Amino acid sequence: MPLAATIFIKTIFSFFATVAFGKLFKCPESCLYKAGFVGMVGFGVYIVLLSGFGLSSMLSNFAGTVALSICSEIFARWYRQPVPIFSIPGIIPLVPGLPLYRAMNYTMLNAYSMGMHTFVSAALDATAIAMGILLVSGLAKVYKTSKKMVRDKRKGKR
Amino acid sequence: MTKSTLASMTKEQVLKIALTAGKILLVSGAETYRVEDTMLRICHEGGMNTIAAFCTPSLIMIGEETMEGASLMYRVTHRGTDLTLISEVNDMSFHMPAWGKSFQDTMAILEEKTMRKPRPAREEIFWSGLAGGFFAVVLGGGALEFAAAFLGSLLSMAFVKAVAPFRPSSFWETTMAGAIICLTVVIFRMACPDLVMELAIAGGVMPYLPGMAFTNGIRDFMAGDLLSGTCRAGEAIFLVGGVAIGIATVLGVLYM
Repeated sequence: MPLAATIFIKTIFSFFATVAFGKLFKCPESCLYKAGFVGMVGFGVYIVLLSGFGLSSMLSNFAGTVALSICSEIFARWYRQPVPIFSIPGIIPLVPGLPLYRAMNYTMLNAYSMGMHTFVSAALDATAIAMGILLVSGLAKVYKTSKKMVRDKRKGKR
Repeated sequence: MTKSTLASMTKEQVLKIALTAGKILLVSGAETYRVEDTMLRICHEGGMNTIAAFCTPSLIMIGEETMEGASLMYRVTHRGTDLTLISEVNDMSFHMPAWGKSFQDTMAILEEKTMRKPRPAREEIFWSGLAGGFFAVVLGGGALEFAAAFLGSLLSMAFVKAVAPFRPSSFWETTMAGAIICLTVVIFRMACPDLVMELAIAGGVMPYLPGMAFTNGIRDFMAGDLLSGTCRAGEAIFLVGGVAIGIATVLGVLYM
């Protein structure tokens, strides 16, 4: 199968997977497909950077998380919902489940160095995701406070 | 704009409303700062400005900063995930500045939310199976991996739901779920040797990975709630460990 087709299929299925997770987390019906879209954006950016451009897994995870967090912040303001409604199902496709499984499998097969290698890279992926969440939620806070400050200043002038 | 009816209630009533709203949020899996923020906002609408709220994943406290002030506490023992409730209570707290209902009516609304019946278990089992199956495809599997992961997630969630009345710890639940998924996939592989086992297992195990605890923990740290952040990060590590131990047990027997 050509690379583009694989990426396309994976991205489409990440939408369905996120919707299924939204159902599992009892996401409100009206937000289900929006949450699915958020998940698809995050995973799409990740897989395109990883497979398409050949960037490192850590960097692609970071970029994917930033994309989906920004998307969920925008949606949260747009549809007047709390941010977790979109970001919690949306982050799930990026969780490094496969590397963690591989790390455990290597350790079970007594290949400790290989297991540690995989485990550390999975942990770094998780750190990259954490950094992405941190960055965007920090920026959102700055935006919120600055908007409030501007509003207060205008009130003071009047 | 109409004035909020909260301002005409007694302090105890306002505190009670705030605590119940916070309780619903925490039990549904909201972040700490959202719970505290909602409770403080409700109290401010009720005309109480010297209020302290403190919340960790297992305890909510809210009280006045005076010697004689009333204070309330609630111990949370069982947490779940319900984004609909978070959305509803959040919406309600934004309507508080122009709230028009009496204390009894407000409590009745909140009471309905706490007492709401959980949806049927079969629905949850089905969606869990579907989530696992789709993830196997996302990770690069085909129809065969989809079927194996679907079956694994389905059976494990059915088991978790079957033992839920006994209130086991979540660590034990995820460990058993990991073992069941692994066992299902191993048996499936005996029937169809073409199956790529790692994709099916990693996909099937997805519903049990603590993506939510992880995300909330990071957001708690960001908001400065160090205690809650540490608790949730610890929870996430424990749950991942539980799933890994469950899978490792079955694989260990297989590799023997």
